[in-house]
Amino acid sequence: MRDMLRMIVVLSMLCGLSGFALSYLKMITAPRIEEQVLANVQGPAIKRVFPYAENDPIGERRRFEADGRSFIVFPVRSGGALVGVALEHGSKGYGGDVNIMVGFNIADDTLAGIGATTLKETPGLGMRIAEPAFTGQFPGQKAPVGLSSGGGVIDGVSGATISSAGAVGAVNNAAAVYARLKKDILAAWAQ
Amino acid sequence: MSVLKEFTKGLWKELPPFRLVLGLCPTLAVTNSAENGLGMGAAVVFVLTLSNMIISMVRHIIPAKVRIACFIVIAASLVVAVELLMQAYAYPLYQRLGIFVPLIVVNCIILGRAEAFAAKNGVAASAADGLGMGLGFTMSLTFLGSIREILGNGTWFGMAVMPEGYEPLRIMVQAPGAFICLGLILAGMNMLAFRQARRKGEQAEALARQQQGCGACGGCAACGAGARDAQAQ
Repeated sequence: MRDMLRMIVVLSMLCGLSGFALSYLKMITAPRIEEQVLANVQGPAIKRVFPYAENDPIGERRRFEADGRSFIVFPVRSGGALVGVALEHGSKGYGGDVNIMVGFNIADDTLAGIGATTLKETPGLGMRIAEPAFTGQFPGQKAPVGLSSGGGVIDGVSGATISSAGAVGAVNNAAAVYARLKKDILAAWAQ
Repeated sequence: MSVLKEFTKGLWKELPPFRLVLGLCPTLAVTNSAENGLGMGAAVVFVLTLSNMIISMVRHIIPAKVRIACFIVIAASLVVAVELLMQAYAYPLYQRLGIFVPLIVVNCIILGRAEAFAAKNGVAASAADGLGMGLGFTMSLTFLGSIREILGNGTWFGMAVMPEGYEPLRIMVQAPGAFICLGLILAGMNMLAFRQARRKGEQAEALARQQQGCGACGGCAACGAGARDAQAQ
């Protein structure tokens, strides 16, 4: 009986201690990790969508509320004026969530381009939705977009219909959020 | 036993992936470049040294029946700490190592050293053992990663090292290349061990060991299995 008690006490104490230590570490590293994720995951995707950005979209990011969720919106300026915004949204893919950074032109609400952020699709197949042959079809289109197999304008990657549909779904989700937030966005960054 | 001896045994005599053939999952999986091998090794050095020290410190408090659970809790906490620190300070490396960082928890070297060494020895010796084994592991991974990166990509730590017209052997940076490379290295290690034994005049013993097919295994002494068998008899 004493042995049993000792086992329980030692193991619980060990778990408790490590739990406290880790939650403390998580707390102090959280801001730095967020910065790193923005710089290494979102940053390159925004660069791909808006190569002509003259400002620092990450530094000027803001949070907006829509559908009970908060979205980070990245403003893109060229020649001093707000020309576009980028926001990230996801949808179900084949291997997990397909997360896509979607850029919008403020002037006519068309898509400026898309860039994948996190993909867990099959290498060589679903992963090809990150390649220019697929992503290059989006700039200039007006959301919602659809796959050509469903009568839309986007040709899916052959053999990777689920991944392609995931990417299109993510783009449409982002477009819906953009439509809802456009007023707030313009108000927030109005000159 | 001197601390220095505990440190150096991990560097050659009981070199983890090539002699003990422990920790093969990360050895095979992340060594497609020298840099990845080095990064993985550094994470393991950190976890292994600290887990050995902590386990050695608390070895008298931990009841024998739940020791494995306790070891795993300690190793897992350290791994999560490494993961957080890596995300905060070396994010590109974290992106490349991916799932293999959390998998350090179940790396058999960590549990193996805890059970075979740290649970029976003092803090200083355990720290030396962990550091030595970790550095041996790092060296091995960097070595394997270098071979694969040079042959498969023509670069070393990202610098081009092969002549202009070199056509990279792509297979070397993919999964099969890891197995081929590891097999050749293990064969080389066995040959070396056999030659060494023969030079020392232990030919009969060396031959017997070779016939058993485990010529390079320093295993029994390293795992403590030999001592247990002796006790049982």
